[in-house]
Amino acid sequence: MANSNLPRRIIKETQRLLSEPAPGISASPSEDNMRYFNVMILGPSQSPYEGGVFKLELFLPEEYPMAAPKVRFLTKIYHPNIDKLGRICLDILKDKWSPALQIRTVLLSIQALLSAPNPDDPLSDNIARHWKTNEAEAVETAKEWTRLYATGA
Amino acid sequence: MTIGTGRSSVVVPRNFRLLEELERGEKGIGDGTVSYGMDDGDDIYMRSWTGTIVGPHNSVHEGRIYQLKLFCDKDYPDKPPSVRFHSRINLTCVNHETGAVEARKFDMLANWQREYTMEDILTQLKKEMAAPHSRKLVQPPEGTFFE
Repeated sequence: MANSNLPRRIIKETQRLLSEPAPGISASPSEDNMRYFNVMILGPSQSPYEGGVFKLELFLPEEYPMAAPKVRFLTKIYHPNIDKLGRICLDILKDKWSPALQIRTVLLSIQALLSAPNPDDPLSDNIARHWKTNEAEAVETAKEWTRLYATGA
Repeated sequence: MTIGTGRSSVVVPRNFRLLEELERGEKGIGDGTVSYGMDDGDDIYMRSWTGTIVGPHNSVHEGRIYQLKLFCDKDYPDKPPSVRFHSRINLTCVNHETGAVEARKFDMLANWQREYTMEDILTQLKKEMAAPHSRKLVQPPEGTFFE
């Protein structure tokens, strides 16, 4: 019902996400809202998030693809560019969005952000400060949180 | 839900809707006479909120600030939040013992629509406080609270 007007572009993107998922990423639309996706991203190897499975939610607003998808983490994560509510500081989700980008590119960028935290453009000031003053210890905390919250244990 | 009418066919899921409301609340609304914020910044499901209403002019409420608790359950905004006054108030739609805003006496909750927001509820309650039938009601002492 709510999906009767789903733009062709969204249908195509969805089909491709399901048939050719990017490595370490899964995204599937929810049954009652085809603009709302359940997403899982595996923590990249050689990052503090390795071994973790991170749940996210993604929503394609009415203006998509003229406006960026909305995405946030549901799994708790210790990362300077992700806040306590799972909101993500990433340029392509804001002013660097372009309709040439896709759901797939957004999720790949988030996966890349896990490999390369950027404490100079923080969303969580405390975590960013931790990262800049004692990176080794911050990385340990990130690993600990991955074990605690992202391993499904 | 209407079929095939473009705009209304896009349903914003609960969590993204609440994130929008959070951001709007953080920026500050209108003249500031109603406001709200999240109680627990760690709750990723954003359930508990505190709202405030500055008592409207030309009513017994003028000069008072009222605190309310709003609770958005998993079925929000398909269902309305539960709303109760924390600050004591004498108002027709508010339960005198609990402070709960009673849906059957408050049309916005009784005839809830998905587009309604917490801001709409607070604004409507403020109007109710200033309405002719309630603006002169004798009020409990200022600074007292429902248990």
